[in-house]
Order: sequence, then C-alpha cells, then structure tokens
Amino acid sequence: MRNSMCFGLVKALMLMLLLASSMSFASIETYQFAQPEMAQRFNDLTTVLRCPKCQNQNLADSDSIIAKDLRAQVHNLLGQGQTNDQITDFMVQRYGDFILYDPPFKRSTLVMWLAPIGLLLIGLSVLWFLGRKPAAQAAMLTPDEQQQVNNLLDSDQQLDIHHD
Amino acid sequence: MAHQPQSTPPTGPATRQRLLLVLPMLLAFALGLFLYHGIGKDPNAMQSSLIGSQVPQFAGETLLAPITTVTQANLLGQPALVNVWATWCPTCRAEHEFLNQIASQEGVRIFGVNYHDQRASAQQWLLELGNPYVFSVFDPKGVVGIELGVVGAPETYLIDAQGKIIDKLTGELNERTWPPLRDQYLALQAGVDNAQ
Amino acid sequence: MRSGVLTSVHAFASDPDRGYFVLVLLAITVGGSLLLFALRASTVSSRVGYRFWSRETFLLSNNVILVVAALTVLLGTLYPLLLDALGGGKISVGPPYFNAAFVPLMVLLIVAMGLGLGAKWKTINPRELTRSLTSPALIAVVLGVAFPFIYDGQFNPSTSLAAALLTWLLLASWVDLKRRLRHQGWWRGLRQLNPGYYGMLLAHVGIGVTALGIAVVSHYDQQEDVYMAIGDEVKLGQYEFVFTAVTDVEGPNYSAVQGHVTVFKGGQLVAQLLPQKRNYHSRNQVMTEAAIDAALSRDIYVAMGEPLENNAWAMRLHVKPMIRCIWLGGLMMALGGVLAVWDKRYRRRRVDTNPSLQTPAALGE
Repeated sequence: MRNSMCFGLVKALMLMLLLASSMSFASIETYQFAQPEMAQRFNDLTTVLRCPKCQNQNLADSDSIIAKDLRAQVHNLLGQGQTNDQITDFMVQRYGDFILYDPPFKRSTLVMWLAPIGLLLIGLSVLWFLGRKPAAQAAMLTPDEQQQVNNLLDSDQQLDIHHD
Repeated sequence: MAHQPQSTPPTGPATRQRLLLVLPMLLAFALGLFLYHGIGKDPNAMQSSLIGSQVPQFAGETLLAPITTVTQANLLGQPALVNVWATWCPTCRAEHEFLNQIASQEGVRIFGVNYHDQRASAQQWLLELGNPYVFSVFDPKGVVGIELGVVGAPETYLIDAQGKIIDKLTGELNERTWPPLRDQYLALQAGVDNAQ
Repeated sequence: MRSGVLTSVHAFASDPDRGYFVLVLLAITVGGSLLLFALRASTVSSRVGYRFWSRETFLLSNNVILVVAALTVLLGTLYPLLLDALGGGKISVGPPYFNAAFVPLMVLLIVAMGLGLGAKWKTINPRELTRSLTSPALIAVVLGVAFPFIYDGQFNPSTSLAAALLTWLLLASWVDLKRRLRHQGWWRGLRQLNPGYYGMLLAHVGIGVTALGIAVVSHYDQQEDVYMAIGDEVKLGQYEFVFTAVTDVEGPNYSAVQGHVTVFKGGQLVAQLLPQKRNYHSRNQVMTEAAIDAALSRDIYVAMGEPLENNAWAMRLHVKPMIRCIWLGGLMMALGGVLAVWDKRYRRRRVDTNPSLQTPAALGE
C-alpha cells in the first residue's frame, strides 16, 4: 500500500512538472546579422555583460531601457567590425569593471579564483592526514565476531539485529 | 556525558580542540558584523568609471527652440551640473523643484540631458514646471546617455570648468544629497574665481 | 540582501529594515547552531574505526567536496563586498565564475561517488577497488565519447563528460549491487535489500541524470528570434515551424490574440502550439503566454512578440533538448531520499547496545 501511495505521488509530481505554464518575459528583438557567427558573438557578449540597471540580470535577459540600448549598441559595434574585446572595452570604459560578469584576473581577485582549488586541497589533505592515524579507537573484536560483522556489512540486508 | 576511549591530558590537545570548535561561531560573528556594517548602502550605486576623466565627446540637438547642435564643448567654462531627466521619471519630477531652487537662489549652473523622451512632452513639462537648465540636450535614443555611462534617471554629474567629471550622483538631488556636491561645486567655483 | 549589502539573485528588499530583520534571523539560526556545535561536538565520537581505504573515507571526501562547493558560493558572493570595503574597487561576480568553480567540483564529486560505490565499508584493498572499477571506467569513457556522435554527429567535450559520468555512476552502482547479491539468488537478494539501499542508488543516478540534462541543454539549445508572417516557415534544428493563423480568443478575465504554429519534424507533425498575447481586463496589462510542447527528450517553445504593420509577428522559437532531465534527476534524488527514510531500521527500537555493531551499514546508508 505504501508503494502505491508513493507511486501516486510521483505521478502527480510529474504531471505538475509537465504542465508547468510559462511566464511573461523580455521582449523579442529581431536583430539581423550579416554573418551567422556574429549572432553567436552577440549572444556571447550579451550574456557576459551585466545590466547596469537590473544588476541581477545580464544584458540578454534584462528588459530595462539601458539594457535595450546597450544591446542595440553591441549590435552596432558588431556591424562596424569591432572585436569582442573592443566591445567589452567600450562598455567597461563607460560603466566600469562592474559591467563584466567575469571578474578580471587581477592581483586583487587572485584569492577568489584560487580559493576553490586551495580549499579543496586543504580539505583533502586534512582527510589524508587524519586517515593516516592508526585506528586506535576501533573496538577490539574476536576473529569470529569480526567475520560476523564483515558478513553483516557486506550483505546489507534487512536483519533483525536483536537476535543473539 | 562524553565517553572517550582514551584519556586526554588536562591541557594542550583538549584546549586546542575546544578552540577549533568555537572558531566557526567566531567567524560567523565577524561576518555578521561586516554585513551589519553594510546595511543601508545603496547597492545600485555603481561607481562611475568616468570620474576623473573628461566629459566624453557627444553631439545632439537642444530640446527647446532655437534648436541648435551642441557638443561637450558647450558645457565648458565654469563648474556645472549635468542633470539627466525625463518626463516618464517620477523621481525627476520630485527633484525638479529643488533644481529650480538651487539654480535661481544659489546660482548653480545646470545643463540637462533629456533622456529617452518625446520632444513635445518634454517641452511642455519645462513650461509647466520651470526650466532651471542653461540648455537641455535632446537624447531620444539614449546615445548621449551611453557615452556618459548613464544607467537611468535621474542622475547628476558634477563637472569642472575644463570639463573633467568630478562626481556623480545616482538618484534624486535634494536637501540630503546636495550638500556634498555643493561643497565641491563651491570649491571649484572658488578656484575659477581665484584664477581670474 | 538588497538592504545595501549584497546585490545578489536573492534580493529580498531594497530596504534596511528588512535587511536588519534577516540579519537577526540569521544570527539566531546560524549563531545558535554553531554555538550548539561548539558546545556539543566533542561528545559526538565514532566508536567504530575504519581504515583509510574504505567507503567511509570516500563519503568523507564527498563531504569535503560539497563543503568546498558551498564555501565557493559564499566566497563568490561576499568577495566583491570584501574587496569594496577594503578599497579594492567594485568588481562583479556572476555565472562565469560560479560555473568555472562549481563544474570541476561536481565532476570530482561524481567520480568520488563512483569510487565510494565500489568501496566496501570499513576497509577495502585499493587493488581490489581498482580491479572492480577499471572496466566501468573504461566503458564510461568509451560511451561518453560516443554519446555526442550518436546524438549530434560531432564531438563535444562537455556532453561527453556528462554522459561518461552518468555511465560511471550506473556501472559503479552495478558493481556494488552485484557484490551484495553475491551470496544468494537474484530475485531473493533484490527483495531483501533495504529500501534505503535503493534510495541511495536512485539518488546517485539522479545526480548523473541531472548533470547530463544540464550539459545537453547548454550545448544543443537552439533559439531564433524572427519575424514571421502568416504562411511563413522557419527551420530550427530538426524542426520546421509553420505560422498558420492568428485568431482572437476570450478568456475568463482576458482577451487574447492567439497564434497558431504547427511544428513538423522531417515532415511528420509534432505539435500544434498556441502562443498568446493576453490583455488582462482588470489591470489593462499585456502578458505573453508562451506555448510549450514538453517531452523528456526536448521542450519546444514558441512565444509571440510585437506585430508589424503587414501582420507579421516577432516570434521567439526555442528548442531545448533534454531539459526535463534536469527535473527528472532532481525527482530521482528526492525519491531516493524518501526511500532512504522509509527504511524500517530507523523505526526499530534499539535493543542491542553493543556499540561495535552500530555501523553505518547496519543502520542504513
């Protein structure tokens, strides 16, 4: 009975997911590009540039006036033949480093970039050194008991532990 | 009751262990202090990256007749405010009276940038509410705005007589936000007066 | 906290009062739990030893990775603030940083999960571990590399990696399952396994499924914003979108303009989509209702933008492959958790107090 309840719940959840309705979204702009790879660059650029007004969104997603203006600007600059770097420089010049989602790899941000690897190495080395300590806290079992225990561990079955 | 298989010495490892256990709490406390300190700061106040550099080159038409073309050169000569405004912006409307006030009573030189607006409604607005501006640049597409690094309205830049951007205020100019700008404005003004 | 401290996706309010409230709330919950930790952590001790090479160690390494991932998110969020406070200027941290940090950690996590599945509790000989997991590893690499060729006809490193990781998890689970059924017949063995064990397998595989969904939709996602007049056909990927008609419909509290878009794949009808632009009467607000044809293998999405004079409409067309797999994987993880809790051994009264028998395996994974 429990199983069928579970299954019913699963079915309901899946149904909900599949019928999820949509929400409204940013307006659709149909930019034309001379070459298809420019369209890709447009997408790339507008996703790494932050909307200066709605700072939680990138240029591609934001609906604010400045985002629309800047998308048009990116389109223009692409049409003028500027490179990705030139376009991001244009933006940074007027809006500061803040407009780039990718924090620059400067000395001041070194800590942030290296932190994940550093923390991981620290964590794993702690694990290593702790593990190297002899297991002095292990309870001592007779060889028979140890065999029993090993079998229990291996089989992973529903056992009645309070059988003696 | 802690039941440890080995006996631990009274000092040394036990104290160190206790210290380690308290450490996360202390770190969290420090973080809390840091966050507390930051409450109230405006997250949207992006430091203008143009502060310290020249007003960028631009060209546009004036809003009111006679309609002429103006450029950044027309802003030079004296310290001034450049105020970005629009009729669709309620805060600009709230700030407008204050602009009138400082322009007429304190003689502050203000230029306007009419941002993403319609000429007719903007002209009507100034007629009704008063015109504190030496002139306003008509910027319907936001082109001048992008050059200045404008994010929205209202915004106000303080420039010196040579056209260097000294400071930028994002948001309403009122009794609370004006004093720091005014002090700088007066200092610049004094500098110009002394040089003459 | 939009109270002025953080600009983050979790903006609560642009208002210091709410910021103070949240800070106090965090102080109580986080401070309280850390205080509890400081006072009581020394009383929690493991009475059962385990060797270095064991399942326990792999579980611990997974925890290390997860903690590092959490810390990375914390660091990425707070670093701009710290830097600004120290006068280092305003920098911005967004998806590029988090992706660059998070993805390798998750890859490592999934690899470690597989190793953990291959390992036994308390102790395992590293050589035995290597032996039992070598073929799974090789098969995973081969299938991983093959996947993008089968799916798309050309190579792609990240979808390869995701497919390889999912295969790795499946095969490592198989190794563990086989070991547990070694002593008895199949059917009897499967029935005797705990729900908790199945939960564990389901949850692990769920992670792989989500990873594959994410990788596939990131790389094979297709989108087109285009003007379409009635009768126009646009090809996107393997699908043809035909804009057949525009009608007016009335809803309970709105009037809408409804577009009819028929989707074909290689000439076969796939879906009839009806995107709408609704005008809600009470607020006089125009909202766009996109039309989605959903399936596990892909979502097809059509939305209408603004019309032009000649009755052409701006249309956004999306084909998102395997995006539902992301949710499917999540569902699997959730179900796995439910199954794990269902384990009868959690509800049994503990009569036996012999500490050496209270191993993680006996108490459920």
